Amino acid sequence: MNSTSQKPTRVTPDRSRDVRATIKKYYIYVVLLFIVFVFSVVKLGEVEMFGRGHFLSPDSVVNMLRTAVPVLTLSGAFTLLMISGYIDLSVGSAMSLNAVVFALMILNGVPFLLAFPITLVLGVILGAINGYLVMKLRITPVIATLVTLLIFKGLALLIVPDGSSAIKSIPGKPMPEWINDYARHDVLLGLPMAFFVAVALIAVLVIVQRKTILGKYAAAVGGNRTAAELSGINAVKVVWFLYILVGVFAALAGMARASYMSLGDPLSGDNMELTCIIAVLLGGTAFSGGEGSVAKTMVGALIVISITTGLMTVIPAYWQTVAMGSVLLIAVVLNHLLVREPAK
Amino acid sequence: MNVDTKLMQKKPTGSRMGKMSNETFITLFMIVMLILVFGIAALVVPNFYLPQNMLNLLANNWFIVIVGIGVTFLLVTGNFDMSVGGVIALTGVLSVYFCQGANVSQNVLANGLGLPYGVAVALALLCAMGVGGLNAFFVARLKVPSIIVTLGTAMLARGIAQVITQGAQRNTSLPDVFGFIGTMAIPATTIKISVLVMLILVFVAFIFEKKTVPGRRTYLIGANSEAARLSGVKVTRHLTSLFILSALLAGITGILLASEFKAGVSNRATGYEFDALVVALLGGVSINGGRGSVLGMFVGAIILSVVTSASTGLLLSPDWQFILKGSVTFIAILAQRFALEHRKV
Repeated sequence: MNSTSQKPTRVTPDRSRDVRATIKKYYIYVVLLFIVFVFSVVKLGEVEMFGRGHFLSPDSVVNMLRTAVPVLTLSGAFTLLMISGYIDLSVGSAMSLNAVVFALMILNGVPFLLAFPITLVLGVILGAINGYLVMKLRITPVIATLVTLLIFKGLALLIVPDGSSAIKSIPGKPMPEWINDYARHDVLLGLPMAFFVAVALIAVLVIVQRKTILGKYAAAVGGNRTAAELSGINAVKVVWFLYILVGVFAALAGMARASYMSLGDPLSGDNMELTCIIAVLLGGTAFSGGEGSVAKTMVGALIVISITTGLMTVIPAYWQTVAMGSVLLIAVVLNHLLVREPAK
Repeated sequence: MNVDTKLMQKKPTGSRMGKMSNETFITLFMIVMLILVFGIAALVVPNFYLPQNMLNLLANNWFIVIVGIGVTFLLVTGNFDMSVGGVIALTGVLSVYFCQGANVSQNVLANGLGLPYGVAVALALLCAMGVGGLNAFFVARLKVPSIIVTLGTAMLARGIAQVITQGAQRNTSLPDVFGFIGTMAIPATTIKISVLVMLILVFVAFIFEKKTVPGRRTYLIGANSEAARLSGVKVTRHLTSLFILSALLAGITGILLASEFKAGVSNRATGYEFDALVVALLGGVSINGGRGSVLGMFVGAIILSVVTSASTGLLLSPDWQFILKGSVTFIAILAQRFALEHRKV
């Protein structure tokens, strides 16, 4: 099965296909530039270019990148999973649960260097559970991860004490201020540690996807699982590992969010799965797996972040949901037009 | 497979005579489960066995059951509909907006279009079906996975509801007739009209599913959509109708709920799409086999009702409901699989 449209296996080169391939390669950057452009001119009457309150002012950019850390990290790992043709709808809940557990540990005096690895281990466990349900018990991915979505969310809500909306300072037990250090405190160029951790991990993911055998295996399983297994790939192991990877990245995202907000909010990850799906689809990963790019998902994630941040300055907050829904459907249409091979 | 056994049942011959279909088997299995769960609940929770409580268990989940009918049919064909919660909110808000008096107040949220109630309901239901049509277009025409599409249209529908209500709700300057169907009870009983609507719809859906050609085709598509297409079933058209039906049922629920509370709330029915899916799965609907029934879903809804109300009776915090729903679904899936595998060995 020829799953990529760029492979030069066609005998007769087709001009319209080449055009499509070019559009497919670059459109996402154009979309990002366009959106950034729109948001930077739309309020020029009120604010100065690059001045205070402008979309591209240094403060605004730093703020956007800081809040983008969870989305960037999570959608990177999510791409690999979608390339292999699987999906994890529980990422948002897993992120919330990790955030809550992390905040709870910090509140109770566990040092950062201990709380960090413990949360990562929790991420591994959550991811492994998803992998077990999908790959070993062979429950349909959507249903299995919906079940874990409910369970993780329930656990996060249960951990938070009754009558409180999140794990936060309580009388006599304040949340240590250094919880901010990881995701809010300026390290370089106004950006926090968490941002650089995210960038480093994404760089690793890009290399994993492009240069390592795991990336090739993921694409092979997504392209045609039976063929991949016949050629000796252990699909169960590969996908299970990817679920664990998503779990670990959900833990990182959860910690970044908890540290940024100084509290463990059991609902902070709600709808994160949708944001990830939007970023991944904008990035041109095929719905059914087989091809995709972590790097382009990052561009997709930046588009989502720009839209959410930019819209907030222009229209009331209650437009947010309809905007995201439309973006998702537009992403689906673009993806359909550009990524899929036309039906024969 | 399933269809085969079904067909054989109609013309009973030889040794296959009297063999239950897997579907009936699972439904019976879940009824036994229901009795078990109810028995346990009745033992632990005080007053759980009282007739009034049993009636409540049947009646209180009417909205999930109505929505569950459409979700069940779609699930049988191998598709998800996660937009039902959003559609309920949208239809409710729209019916209020269309019905509110025009230019009656300074407050934007108090002004509507001033249409008569019947017209308002009809228009709101049309909009709901529009969302269903959008789902169908993406899933049946563009062949996009239904889970992605319907999550997107769910946001779209709820988002429009939020825009119309400015993120809150509309509940003023409504005519009295608006609150009737939602609160009215069947004469001489305490059973609400909504519950009656649920029972009628379940009955109609049951007949549709077992006795009509389109009903049986639904299963054929679920069992093997390619084979269905080759044998002349118009798969695209069939899926389109089912998506529109599902949205329409969600719309009816939205109208009834809006009428019951006499308000259009943009955050109404959050998470109902999960509940509808959970009750369908509890009732033995399978996503990859063209198996499942509305009756099973109904049993599933009662099971969920028993579990959640028992947990409330045990004074568990409401936060438990997510874990309960998740674990009950998980156990049900495994139990059904186990039962099917070990059937008549």
